Amino acid sequence: MKRRAPVALVLALVVAPADPALAYLKFGTTVGGRQVTLKWSQTPVRYFVTNVSVPGVSADDFQAAVGRAFATWHAVPTASIAYQLGGATNAVPGRDDGLSTLGFVSRPDLDRVLAQTSFLVDASTGALVEADIFFNSAFPWSVAPGGDANRFDLESIALHEIGHFNGLGHSALGETELRAGGGRTVLAAEAVMFPIAFAPGSTAGRTLKADDIAGISDLYPASGSAATLGTVSGRVTKNGAGVFGAHVVAFDPATGSMVANFTLNANGQFSIGGLSPGPRVIRVEPLDDAELDSFFDPSRQVDLDFRVAFSDRVVIVPRGGDSGEIAIAVVAK
Amino acid sequence: MRTTPALVCLLLIALAAPARATVVVPADLGELARDAIAIARGRVAAINVQWTDDRGTIETIVTLEVESYLKGSFGSELSFRVPGGELGRFRSIVVGAPEFAVGQRVVVFLGARGPTIPFIVGFNQGVYRIVAGESGWMVTPPANVPAAASVRVVRGDVARRPMPLADFEQRVRALGSAR
Repeated sequence: MKRRAPVALVLALVVAPADPALAYLKFGTTVGGRQVTLKWSQTPVRYFVTNVSVPGVSADDFQAAVGRAFATWHAVPTASIAYQLGGATNAVPGRDDGLSTLGFVSRPDLDRVLAQTSFLVDASTGALVEADIFFNSAFPWSVAPGGDANRFDLESIALHEIGHFNGLGHSALGETELRAGGGRTVLAAEAVMFPIAFAPGSTAGRTLKADDIAGISDLYPASGSAATLGTVSGRVTKNGAGVFGAHVVAFDPATGSMVANFTLNANGQFSIGGLSPGPRVIRVEPLDDAELDSFFDPSRQVDLDFRVAFSDRVVIVPRGGDSGEIAIAVVAK
Repeated sequence: MRTTPALVCLLLIALAAPARATVVVPADLGELARDAIAIARGRVAAINVQWTDDRGTIETIVTLEVESYLKGSFGSELSFRVPGGELGRFRSIVVGAPEFAVGQRVVVFLGARGPTIPFIVGFNQGVYRIVAGESGWMVTPPANVPAAASVRVVRGDVARRPMPLADFEQRVRALGSAR
C-alpha cells in the first residue's frame, strides 16, 4: 500500500504551510525535510506547442492564443517572469520527455476536465524541470475574439493552466449558482485560478485579477516590488482552537478587489501576501461549496462548520511590511 | 524519439515527482447521478498503482467492496481508475484528483466507455465521503442538490451541512432514475 507518500506530497504541493508569505495557494515540495516553493529558477521559460488542430482552432490559432496567455502573465508589472516559444513539436503533452509541451489531447474519460497541467520536479533540489499542459479535445474550443456561445474559450483556459505552469495553485475566489431545472454555473470569479470554468462563450477568464497578480508577484517578484507590497496575517479560531482550511479574504474597499488565502495549520494561522498598501476588510468563510480535493490533502480535516465572520476593524496593509496578527473568532453554524 | 520514463529517470538522476492541476466543468448532484452508469456505496478494499497502457503516465486502480448500489451494478466488488499515484521512483500527483485510502467508506459516481475500467464521473465531483456524525453516518462535502428555482450558493449558510447518508441515498436514487 503506497498511499502515504503521495498523500504527504499532495499536502506539500497544495498547502506548503512553511512559507510565511503566501499570496494564496502555491505549489511546494519537500526537500531534505524543508519546504521549497515550486517555481522556475531561470527565465525565459522555454515551451513548445504541438501542431494538432481541432474544429474551430487551427495549429496556428492555438499557438497564437497560448502566446497571448503567456504574454498576459509576463505583463504583470510587479512580477518578473518571461517565456520563450521553442517552436512546434510532435511530442505529446503529459509525457516525461524533458520538453514543456502544450497541445490538444482527446480524453473523453475525463468527462468534465477541460485542461490539465502536469509538471516534473527534481526532488533533490525542488527545481521545476518540465511542465506540460493538455487541452481536452473532447470539448469544443474557440479562439474567436468575442468568444463563441457554444465553445470554451481557449485563451481563458490557457491563462488558468499557465498559472499552474508558473507554480500557482487554485483560488477559491468564485461564486456559483444552482440553476433552475438542474446544473451549476459560475456567477463570478475574482481569480483566473478559480478551478471551475465559466460557461462556454465566456471570455472573462482572459484577464488576470488582483488575486492572480498577488500570487505571481509573490512567486516572481519584480525588482523592488517587495518594498512596495505588504502582507496581512493572523489567526482564525473557534471556541478558542485554531481552524484549519478557513478561507480568508482581504477586500479592498477602494477598488473592490479581493485577494485570499486559507488558514494552513492547526493553529488557524493565515498570511496573505502581495498586497498593495492600504485598508482592507477581512472576511472569513468556510469552503463548504467546493470539492476540497481541489485545494487540500483529503487526509486533512477541513472545518466547514462555522458561519461567516469579519475582522472587527479595518486592517491597514503597510508598504513593505505586515499588518500584525489579526485575530478573528468564528462560531459554529 | 520516444523517451521512456526509465530514461528520464536516468537523465534527471534525482527522484522525479510529476504533479498536475485541472480546470473542470461544474456539475450538480442531478447531473452526476444522470451521467453515472453506476453509483456505489462501499469500502475501499485495495489500491494498486500502475503505468497506463501507453506507459505515458501513472494511474491508480481502486478496488471497492460494494455495500449497496444506488444505480446500476458492477458486481459485489468493483475497480475504478483515478489519475496519479506512486510507482517505483516516480510519483504522479494530480491536484484536485480524488485520493483514497484502504478502509474509507465512500459513495462514487462511475462512468465507463467500452470494455475498460470505470472512471469517476466529474473528476473530483463524483466522490462523496461517508463520515461519522453525532446522529449517524453523514455524507460530505455538502451536496449541490438541484433546485426548483435558481439559487446562489452561499458559503457559511447554515443549510450547507453534511447530509445524513439515508437522505443522500434517497435523493441520489431519485435523481439517478429521473429522465
